[in-house]
Amino acid sequence: MLFDINTATGHWPFRRIPNQTITELKRLLKSKGVTGAAVVNTNGLFYQNCHDANVELAKAIDPHRDYFAGVAVLNPLFPAWERDLENCAGKLGLKALRLVPQYHNYRLDSPGVLAIVKKAAILKLPVFIPHRVVDVRGRHWMDTEQTVNLHEVGALCHAAPEAKVVFTEASVNPEELVDKRGRRHYPNLYFEISRWHSVMGQHVKQMVKMIGYDHILFGSGAPFKEITPALLKLQHAALNSKAMNAIACQNAVRILRLS
Amino acid sequence: MKIINHKQFRPVDFHNHVSGKNGKLDRENAKSVNEAVAALGIDKACVSCPLNSDSPTPDEFHASNDVVFEAMTFSKRFLGFCFVNPGYARESLAEIERCVVRGGMIGVKLYHQYFICDPALQPVMEYAAELGIPVLMHAGKLTDSGAKFQPRLSNAGHFLKATEMFPQTILVQGHIGGGGDWEWNLRTLEALSRSSKYYLDTSGSVIDAGMIQKTVAILGTERVLFATDMSFEEGVGKVLDAGLSEKQLQKIFSDNYYKILSERRV
Repeated sequence: MLFDINTATGHWPFRRIPNQTITELKRLLKSKGVTGAAVVNTNGLFYQNCHDANVELAKAIDPHRDYFAGVAVLNPLFPAWERDLENCAGKLGLKALRLVPQYHNYRLDSPGVLAIVKKAAILKLPVFIPHRVVDVRGRHWMDTEQTVNLHEVGALCHAAPEAKVVFTEASVNPEELVDKRGRRHYPNLYFEISRWHSVMGQHVKQMVKMIGYDHILFGSGAPFKEITPALLKLQHAALNSKAMNAIACQNAVRILRLS
Repeated sequence: MKIINHKQFRPVDFHNHVSGKNGKLDRENAKSVNEAVAALGIDKACVSCPLNSDSPTPDEFHASNDVVFEAMTFSKRFLGFCFVNPGYARESLAEIERCVVRGGMIGVKLYHQYFICDPALQPVMEYAAELGIPVLMHAGKLTDSGAKFQPRLSNAGHFLKATEMFPQTILVQGHIGGGGDWEWNLRTLEALSRSSKYYLDTSGSVIDAGMIQKTVAILGTERVLFATDMSFEEGVGKVLDAGLSEKQLQKIFSDNYYKILSERRV
């Protein structure tokens, strides 16, 4: 079993992304051996009223609920987010919340962010935060250059210890995650592996050593990014089968509360 | 997970690096690179040790190339590229003679001290053409605020000019996935003359879906060289995901490198 925690559907306005519909994405993921995926709607980055993207997503994945777990996108500075979040967790059946301060023009320490993260925790929705959506070195002139760093995400984790936060598209130094006695700075922070390395330096293995395999998830970044690089990172991670299975699938099933 | 077996193609990584530490090869780093290359079934890796300062002196690039010589001894997988600063023309030619003609390195590596189409490169380019060896240059089309830190970073437009200025020299544009607007580079390369001795390497951490597929569609399989530039899984994976035939993969992973090597006259 292989569950991809980091996939997307919907339109990206700055470059043509192949396989951006749900059916195309599913076909692509299955062709690589991926057996399930968490999916966000990229449209939610750009709509003023981004909850419309959640409604779109729920409708799109309805025929594929056995494969996709939907991830909501909400803006804590936009009216009625609390009602929208309850709707996402309830009627729409979405399994996580994604915050994108880079695209919704706020910072993680802005008023309102803590409230939405705490509300997500009450609804048992993990909160996904991407370091970036695309590599900003080649940004379109209308796209953002802002990224989110570990310390911003870490501060939010401290402020809402009851929340589960997944930092996606992030490359971090494992040593920044523990203190001198080996205790984790952010026990409620999870990561996906798409920007880590295995064959050079065994970054995945180091991360497992620092924060435990139960806090690491397989993710590819499809369809923005090719999938095989992430597969190779998992394949070449020097891990035992228990850790491998947890990262490949079981951790995602647990934090998304999938059956 | 389903991954195409690429080891059958005996890949040659055209763009990689080793580093120095206290004037010597950083053996720990070299060991890591060698192990990574071996783990991914890469047969050979072209390594260099370029300096990114504004104007490295001859003593500095000489020392840098000594590190590459150490690497070539450290592992038979490593093939050396000789780094020079063309601003020191006479010393650069002497260094190429030392490293390539006498030392067995296989090409010249240039960084961002000059654009690839700068007339200052003429002596180096002519000597490389005479020897029949490739010139690989760090390149990209940065569009973020970091671009100001590399004011003489060559992009595809500079390479087009260079193919006219130095038509006998084998030019290799580094890392289409090195960060930057790769689509701008590829569309610019549509104007490339079919007879030019131009190649592009696939390396870099960028693994945007469709990037390698478009590269091959625009340049053809014959001009594309597999490379990682230290982004190992990314380097292999994005080529495997490009939807190419076995014949195309064979050329990109290996044959195109050996074709370049066959032009060597020393």
